Amino acid sequence: MIFTSFNFLIFFPIVIIIFFLFPQKYRWHFLLFASYFFYINLKPVYALLLAGVTLITYIFTRLIDNPKFANHKKSLLVVNIILALLPLFFFKYYNFVNQSVFTFLDYMGIRWQLPQINFILPIGISFYTFMALGYSIDVYNEEIHAEKSFGIVALFLSFFPLVLSGPIERAPNMFPQFKGRLLFNYYKIIKGLQWILWGYFMKLVVADRIAIYVHAIFTNISNHNGKSLFVGTLLYPIQVYADLGGYSLIAIGCAKVMGIEVMQNFNRPFFATSMSEFWRRWHISLISWLTDYIYTPLAFNLRRYKIWGIVIALLLTFFLSGLWHGATITFMVWGTIQGIFLSIEALTNKRKKNFVKKYKLHQRGWYLFICSLFTYFLFAFSEIFGGATESVSQGFLVIKKIFTNFSGPIWYENPSMILISLSAIFILFFVELKTEYFPGKFSFFNNENWVVRFLSYGFLITIILLIGVFDGGQFIYFQF
Amino acid sequence: MDKEAIIDKLTNIFRDVFQDPEILLNNEMTANDVGSWDSLSHMLMIEQVETAFSFKFKLKEINKLKNVGVLIELIESKVV
Repeated sequence: MIFTSFNFLIFFPIVIIIFFLFPQKYRWHFLLFASYFFYINLKPVYALLLAGVTLITYIFTRLIDNPKFANHKKSLLVVNIILALLPLFFFKYYNFVNQSVFTFLDYMGIRWQLPQINFILPIGISFYTFMALGYSIDVYNEEIHAEKSFGIVALFLSFFPLVLSGPIERAPNMFPQFKGRLLFNYYKIIKGLQWILWGYFMKLVVADRIAIYVHAIFTNISNHNGKSLFVGTLLYPIQVYADLGGYSLIAIGCAKVMGIEVMQNFNRPFFATSMSEFWRRWHISLISWLTDYIYTPLAFNLRRYKIWGIVIALLLTFFLSGLWHGATITFMVWGTIQGIFLSIEALTNKRKKNFVKKYKLHQRGWYLFICSLFTYFLFAFSEIFGGATESVSQGFLVIKKIFTNFSGPIWYENPSMILISLSAIFILFFVELKTEYFPGKFSFFNNENWVVRFLSYGFLITIILLIGVFDGGQFIYFQF
Repeated sequence: MDKEAIIDKLTNIFRDVFQDPEILLNNEMTANDVGSWDSLSHMLMIEQVETAFSFKFKLKEINKLKNVGVLIELIESKVV
């Protein structure tokens, strides 16, 4: 069951009630049961896969942390990583590698193809595999001791708010909470429910409404003019943000209700004034994972090349980020583009800083606005290859049409579709602008006056029920 | 090299790498306290510290640098 299904609306309250009825000492045991029940409901056989990755992680982290095997730590970690990555490789990358090898061999005149495998990607595999790898590496780096309780490790990797699409959490944050005192806390429950409500608004109203329009545009590129494609290009990042951001908020809110603190996954990314700032605000759990486990070791080993070592590390890290998103050339192009953006910023950082300081531009609102807009355009155009289109040639066709066919009317199915989507975007933008630039000023959910609070809840629930998309919609990050 | 000398040298490195001539180090200082201290400039700082103090960090040591105080202690242990 997914968060936006009716089943989840039944499942979650029941889980919470039973959770708090359980003696405090056994609450994490119940959570483990509930998490596997949640995952089995998707597809039972994939729960076996999750259990398998959990078992591998548990065994190898215990071995790595055992002083008897101190001389073999590195080898154990390497084997652990390979075994944990095998299912992900098999389900996500096998066909791509197979096809690439076939294309290469065919080019050399050798016709030999391994059979295609057409299994559906187990939901959440990219997320829980990264969590497992992060835990193993943390044990190797002595950031944390290997957990003796198999159940705690199993809960960490299967924890139902996170298992399908993150945030990609870390063992040092989660283990102490699972083993600690999971107490009933009224304020945490209210906060959690607020985040869940806002998450549903982002997902069902903003993301799924925009998706209808964007899908119509990008599945019919040849029949739309440059103007419509441009509008689709500008809307797609908002769709992705509201989709994954909304889903993440629901996840974080569910955990909060249970008294468990999970890391923030987005921090109002469209207010970023540079791509490096953008990537500190967007999909934070993934980027911090890549920074800690890929970028830092790479940049460290290349540090003798100074700024060029950083550039190489950035390009490789974001190429891998593209690969994580999908085994397609488009995602690799997308990842490389992000790496290029950040490399250019790294190379020009000093000069830019001096220029901004000289003219005190960082104090000027218009400068910050232009920088945010420019950053948004950069990301929006890169997203043409990051899921909006299905091939690189389609992506280039979109860009070509935007610049050569920017005439004619903007396509829309009916005026109400436009009004609804724009209204939803406006509400999202208004709240985020208020939080970014006027924090602590007039609050809706946390207003001292209960009338304002309940009117806000009521307004949002009404909006969700009236204009939310309830036919299943699509969740972009399920494909990862 | 005594601690004062280490702090002086480190202050100059911080001011150069993070382009802030007014940085004053304290033990609790972290990347959150310096605007331009991010994962990119962090590695540039590490490389300059190695060059200035003539030693090499291990990756595990980098991962355990929680604040400037820990960095100063690490440098002290390396240059003694």
